[in-house]
Amino acid sequence: MAQPRWRSEGEDPDYRFTLANERTFLAWIRTALALLAGGVLLFEFASTIGPRVLVVVLAVGLAVVAAALGGLSYVRWRANEIAMRHGRALPYSIAVPVLAAVALLGAATIAVMILLG
Amino acid sequence: MSSVVPSYEGRDPGLQPERTALSWSRTALAIAVNALLVLRSGFVSDQPLLAALGVALFAAAAAAAAYGVVRARELGHEGGVVMPSAWPLLAVAAVVLLAAVGGVASIVVEAGR
Repeated sequence: MAQPRWRSEGEDPDYRFTLANERTFLAWIRTALALLAGGVLLFEFASTIGPRVLVVVLAVGLAVVAAALGGLSYVRWRANEIAMRHGRALPYSIAVPVLAAVALLGAATIAVMILLG
Repeated sequence: MSSVVPSYEGRDPGLQPERTALSWSRTALAIAVNALLVLRSGFVSDQPLLAALGVALFAAAAAAAAYGVVRARELGHEGGVVMPSAWPLLAVAAVVLLAAVGGVASIVVEAGR
């Protein structure tokens, strides 16, 4: 199948970097899938903690974050690949701090619900 | 089965390709876990559409695992393809979106009961 045009720009990077970028992409995909599974499991099995509305909002929120991460992972893989082909610095992304904040907030909320429940 | 013996001459002997192929396998397993969850929701709440989505996600997991094997083959030959085709990666990202839709649907369906 035809490949996007940016793939013929610049020079091929060291194959190790290309493979590392591919693995990073897959790691983000797995992170998104783990968040999604966490959300669904929270909804299915957290029937005794907290207000039901909050559990549903948290579960749907986790699924939405998972969807966003899934889309973002491809955008970042592509941006990294282009940057490497032109010998530029890898683009900075706020995905890591945002993910950390989401994980912290989600875990803290669940912990409070368990303690109060 | 292929009888081609991979040649790693002049390359990091096998570990980079191996980690990349394993990475695909782990991703396939993560998709399969979500497929299982969606499938279960579909059966528990008696929603055939949700169950069908679970089956589709299982197929996606199988495809990801198969592509991992293809990648291992590609990377196992010196001078073989190094850069992954953009389409499988785009497809995996789309699968995450599909799984997220399935997850939200399963939550909404059961929460509305």
